[in-house]
Amino acid sequence: MSDRSKFPPVIDGKAQFDLDSGKYIKVWQGPQHPGVTGNMALELIISGDEVIDLTTHVGYLHRGFEKLMERRRYIQCFPIVCRICVPEPDTNEYLLAAAAEELAGIEIPEKAKWLRTLTLELSRLASFLMWIGGQSGAFGMGTVAQWAIAQRDFILDLFEELSGGRVYHMYIVPGGVRDDLPSGWDKHLEDVLVKTEKMLKEIEIVMFNNVIFKMRAQNLGIITPDMVDKFGIVGPNARAAGLARDLRKDEPYLIYDKLDFQVITRDFSDAYNRTYLRWQEMWQSIGLIRQIMAGMPAGNDYHYNLPNVLNWKIPHGETYVKAESTRGEYGFYMVSDGSGYPRRVYVRGPSYTHAMALLPHLAVNVNIADMAGLMVSLHTYPPEIER
Amino acid sequence: MKLKDYLSPFYVWKRAFDKPFTTRKPLEDRPGAPRYRGFHQNDMEKCIGCGSCEVICQNAAIDLVPVDGIETTRKDSGLRPKIDYGRCCWCALCVDICTTGSLKMSNEYIWIDSDPEVFRFVPGASEKPWKNTEAGYSQHENYTLLNLDRIDMPMLTPEDSRKSFIETVKGYSKEEAMKEAQRCVECGLCVATCPAHMDIPDYIRAIRDDNLDEALRLLYDTNPMPATCGRICTHLCEDVCSIGVKGEPLAIRWLKRYIVDQIDDTRFKAILRDEFKPNGKKVAIIGAGPGGLSAAYYLVTAGYSVTIYEASDLAGGMIRYGVPEYRMPYDQLDQDINYIKELGVEIILNNRIGKDTLFSDLYNNYDALFFSTGLNDPYKMAIDGESLPGVFSGLQILDDVTKGIKPDIGKSVAVIGGGNVAMDAARTALRLGAESTLIYRRREEDMPADTEEIHEAHAEKVKFITQAIPLRIEKTANGKLKFIWNNAEMVAKEGAARPSPIAIEGDIQSLEVDAVISAIGQGADYSFLPPEYESKIKFKRGKVIINENCQTTVPKIFAGGDIANPTADAISAIADGHNAAKGIDKFLNKK
Amino acid sequence: MQEILNKLIDRYAIEPIQENRHNQAFVTIEKNRLPDVLTWLRDYEDYTHLAFITAVDYPEIEKIQLTYMLHNYILHTDLGLRVLLDRTRPEMVSIHHLWKQVATYQRELREMFGIDFPGSPGLQENFALEGWKDIPPMRRDFDTKEYSEKTYFPRPGRQTHDPKEYMKEKLYPSAKEDK
Ligand SMILES: Cc1cc2nc3c(=O)[nH]c(=O)nc-3n(C[C@H](O)[C@H](O)[C@H](O)COP(=O)(O)OP(=O)(O)OC[C@H]3O[C@@H](n4cnc5c(N)ncnc54)[C@H](O)[C@@H]3O)c2cc1C
Ligand code: SF4
Ligand code: SF4
Repeated sequence: MSDRSKFPPVIDGKAQFDLDSGKYIKVWQGPQHPGVTGNMALELIISGDEVIDLTTHVGYLHRGFEKLMERRRYIQCFPIVCRICVPEPDTNEYLLAAAAEELAGIEIPEKAKWLRTLTLELSRLASFLMWIGGQSGAFGMGTVAQWAIAQRDFILDLFEELSGGRVYHMYIVPGGVRDDLPSGWDKHLEDVLVKTEKMLKEIEIVMFNNVIFKMRAQNLGIITPDMVDKFGIVGPNARAAGLARDLRKDEPYLIYDKLDFQVITRDFSDAYNRTYLRWQEMWQSIGLIRQIMAGMPAGNDYHYNLPNVLNWKIPHGETYVKAESTRGEYGFYMVSDGSGYPRRVYVRGPSYTHAMALLPHLAVNVNIADMAGLMVSLHTYPPEIER
Repeated sequence: MKLKDYLSPFYVWKRAFDKPFTTRKPLEDRPGAPRYRGFHQNDMEKCIGCGSCEVICQNAAIDLVPVDGIETTRKDSGLRPKIDYGRCCWCALCVDICTTGSLKMSNEYIWIDSDPEVFRFVPGASEKPWKNTEAGYSQHENYTLLNLDRIDMPMLTPEDSRKSFIETVKGYSKEEAMKEAQRCVECGLCVATCPAHMDIPDYIRAIRDDNLDEALRLLYDTNPMPATCGRICTHLCEDVCSIGVKGEPLAIRWLKRYIVDQIDDTRFKAILRDEFKPNGKKVAIIGAGPGGLSAAYYLVTAGYSVTIYEASDLAGGMIRYGVPEYRMPYDQLDQDINYIKELGVEIILNNRIGKDTLFSDLYNNYDALFFSTGLNDPYKMAIDGESLPGVFSGLQILDDVTKGIKPDIGKSVAVIGGGNVAMDAARTALRLGAESTLIYRRREEDMPADTEEIHEAHAEKVKFITQAIPLRIEKTANGKLKFIWNNAEMVAKEGAARPSPIAIEGDIQSLEVDAVISAIGQGADYSFLPPEYESKIKFKRGKVIINENCQTTVPKIFAGGDIANPTADAISAIADGHNAAKGIDKFLNKK
Repeated sequence: MQEILNKLIDRYAIEPIQENRHNQAFVTIEKNRLPDVLTWLRDYEDYTHLAFITAVDYPEIEKIQLTYMLHNYILHTDLGLRVLLDRTRPEMVSIHHLWKQVATYQRELREMFGIDFPGSPGLQENFALEGWKDIPPMRRDFDTKEYSEKTYFPRPGRQTHDPKEYMKEKLYPSAKEDK
């Protein structure tokens, strides 16, 4: 190791420095920065080319979704929630519906569960593709980013055909889903899956066997297993550290208990392994999508006829429902006061702790050039932080 | 690091000559998917301007506006949705909720203009390139946000109902009523059609909120006979209910009944809080039918001293002496009447104006007069044998039954007519132990009776003979009556709204029965009016001519109910009574 | 689930309990006991995961409810702990020492609901808002519609009609002046 005497000492994860000494510079990365996914700002203190302190700032994207829902009927919340997460809106749609259905005591038709699971997996795939674009881009591999983003667009085509919307699908509606699969869709889907598989293989070659990526990503942002619960770390970030935690397996919702899959883990959570694990989970999603298509029930009963939605009141109660998003445990905590409007909807996004608590901890002594790569390797989406 | 790690990045070159994903300029046309949620389209003919799209839009992107060439009718507000694309988020909830299915979205998504104003427009009204595009998001079966099916009303089975005068319709339970009330979209289209313009969406909302006290107050705002109307109203409102376009209309009538059923009548006074100061003026009313009772209620609550003169021994008019008990139990009618009496309205029974009291006395002793004397003079069939014993009028049979007299109709009857009176007579005859056969000139679909009535008559096994023109009634050797008719065919005549029955030559049929009941309509009896008044009051086709305040051509005399309105049902009489009360108030306060 | 609830009842005499489903329950806890209960649950009962902390405003009973959602990764059960605070000066014991992400939650709750957590690091710093002067925006009495109408300006030229009133005007205007 090189001589670190010029760097301030780190005690308890915090660098000890005096900004007024003039030895350090404060640099803002974001809110408008290509290395930052979404609008979020990192306030960095730099010593040489190393980050010694980081504070995450949000607020550039605050649209007050939770508040807006308080003055909307349950059905009117449905077009809002997808906007909490652009790359993976369907989790929001599903959780809003699931929370409302649970409180209202509604059991949705079996076919709706299959179709919901299908869209959730498809959106996981799309979200991972978008993320791997960011991850590769952050390390200067723009080509992979181009491939992945283009591939995601093909999935958006599928969503467009299925739901009528590319980005905001508004497909999972309380009571079920809005429509059946369009005819011929299964073929289009298979085409896209095959293309995606081909691309994933190419990514493996150019990314995971790439000396630059290896050198920069390995040992970057190490999450040890004992950190996981202290920071509330979930999803791939935790799984890469060897913890087999996946809500799809641990608390199966929809039809996940009918699908055959294993929770993927790795034994060392650094940026490299987290990337690799997510790459593996893309394969897993593809496999799950095929299983879902093979098991898709016949018939066209995919929506429970809710009480006229303009007058729909939900009995008093509160619940917390969750699903495994690409970033891990995503949840909706819904409180109903018996009226037609939710009393409170709280959206729990995994990025909250990953970006706000974990990232500042991991950033200490990271080279400034690797900051973007580190951040993306935690897979954070700012809108779910400030909702 | 292995050598491979140095070489493999160059793999990306392999794709250098692949066809790029991006589209080249000039942009290729890429139509949206068949379900695409693009610019809206609206079928102007189908849309009824109910405004549900406006209500559901969580972005407040929709306004309802008048549109050239769209008329306001009873079934159509004449308004159409105008969409502000500065706000629309393309969620298509408006399409999902549309009560008629007129609204959809095209798959068009490109529209460029430098004038922001054009992005607010009424879909379907102005020419847009996507106006007739087939593709795009639209409603489809298996998914709806409305509740199109009515909550079933518990009823006696026809086997049981035909045996007694117990009320056939049992009424909604709380749970059923709340569910039914939930179906309402509160468009308010029905209010215009209700002759009394009752606050229908408001009292349905009160049911949903389980605030029945408020619901009762809303009912009495426009209708002081809710127990009655909750049972026998002709419910014209349900014909225009927007939910009825795609599904079954709200059971508005049964919901009204539910409100009254749930509230103990001893609480009415406390709930309604009718307070008034006597103003010292006196009004006389002739006839204690719905028209007279309604006028009395609104007059007494406006401070007038009200006296009703009624020829029969009980109040209620045709609701009591016409409508049979299995549809309208007397205690329910009494409940409506008692509340009006409780407020201080005096009802003088067994007092026939023209006989027991003179019309001119009323005219001279009161500040104003209102008469609603109804139609109680049955029309004659004008055929031979009509005066034979065993030939009755429907009104008479129903009147007898109300009074506890069992009419002598034997074991089988033929009921002539196709209106509600005929249905009531035929079904009453069943309950008296006779087999009923209904004989009508035209087809079943031409019958003026309510569809529900016809349906229930069928269920109770009333026989129907249609397209039969009565010829004569003969007495048979065994003491029975033989009703003879000529079969008819329906012939469409030029200029006529509906086809008429024309006798088929020689096709004569007959039926032997113990009694014949004629129920082909009834007219008014104005004999109580002395000539000097009768000559001043104007009539047209047997009906009194009144203005919008129910005032006759004699300023001090007001009239309403069956003798004046064309619909001749309870709710119209009630509306007339209310209008007359307002008219009298205006008239007396102007002086 | 029942087991942990029984223990809670025994140890802390906690009531009421709302059991949602086989793997989720909510209990209400007295404010000062919460850190103690949380620590016990975390260290001895495997409720190691804090999923979130949030608040629900109940102006009608003058209370703000805090909800702490814990998860047990072994049993896969959720336990929601509720604390009711006085709404006029809501203050809660800080638990930032128990989980690393807590300080951020408390910072957000201070900003959005006006709840004070004395001793919580960086509590007074902005979370999402900058230069906010109004009442805490997540309080029920903060009216977003009113705020946006006063802060921004709608484009002019919009006007809507109520079908019921419009039909009255068109079809039976005579009845208009009554009632
Ligand atoms: C068999 C039958 C079934 C019906 N079913 C329905 C139904 O299901 N739904 C519905 O909405 N409508 C129904 N109707 C119509 C409804 O009953 C009438 O529209 C309504 O009763 C009219 O009210 P009114 O006040 O105009 O007259 P009426 O109800 O006829 O009342 C007139 C009153 O005036 C009294 N009267 C008349 N002349 C004098 C006089 N000279 N002096 C003192 N008193 C006098 C009469 O005794 C009577 O009580 C039915 C009618 C009949 C005959
Ligand atoms: S699509 Fe949605 S946002 Fe647009 S007008 Fe319809 S309801 Fe409103
Ligand atoms: S919901 Fe449908 S019928 Fe009603 S106003 Fe809107 S477009 Fe017209």
